[in-house]
Amino acid sequence: MSTTPRLAPASPEMAADFGSLMSHTPNTMLRFFETYAEFWQNGVVAQEVKEMTRMRNARITDCGY
Amino acid sequence: MGWITETTASTPLEAVLGQRPELLKRYRAFCQTFWEDGLVPRRTLELCRLRIAAIHDCAQEWAIRDGQVALNNAEIAALKRGELTTFSASEQVALNIADQIPYQHHQITDAQITDADRELTTAGAVSLLTACAFFDVNCRLRIVLDIEERPAELSAPPLHHGALA
Repeated sequence: MSTTPRLAPASPEMAADFGSLMSHTPNTMLRFFETYAEFWQNGVVAQEVKEMTRMRNARITDCGY
Repeated sequence: MGWITETTASTPLEAVLGQRPELLKRYRAFCQTFWEDGLVPRRTLELCRLRIAAIHDCAQEWAIRDGQVALNNAEIAALKRGELTTFSASEQVALNIADQIPYQHHQITDAQITDADRELTTAGAVSLLTACAFFDVNCRLRIVLDIEERPAELSAPPLHHGALA
């Protein structure tokens, strides 16, 4: 389960992580986080259920991030 | 007939996602960036979108076409069968990644990512990988929610008259 990005971060000062990689596409990153925030902050599904499904999905897809 | 009560939106996907209007609005804006940013050639995006639809056997996604990308019958048949050597070397780099996104994402090699970086720039590679991941998401949504199949030729995919087709 690798947690090391295979592409360089957008700026050498940045740590290589999901955010710094997505910074290569700032428009996409902004819209992604706007979508993600709406998903997490609103809606009728309880936070606990969302978190459980997120973790279960990460486990099934073997995503160490 | 899908599983979710539909809203009155103009397209089948939006009719379902419209249960969460603000989420739909933001998701639509997010998906649009793959085309808007122009980091990956439009034809490459269309090839990858259709290859992922073919892998999922997603008739709903397969029935949608980018009106600005003219694919001939041989190319469409090749996408369906996964005969990726039909396409240019640069397109194959993207298609080989798209081919593995749905069920073989752990098998995507360092060399494949390096090739995408070289062919598309790093920004293009990030854009391609994000686009492919969400082409996969859209197929899964359409299949799991049993969203109606409605053929469409889009002027600005994934938007069709301002809606997600």
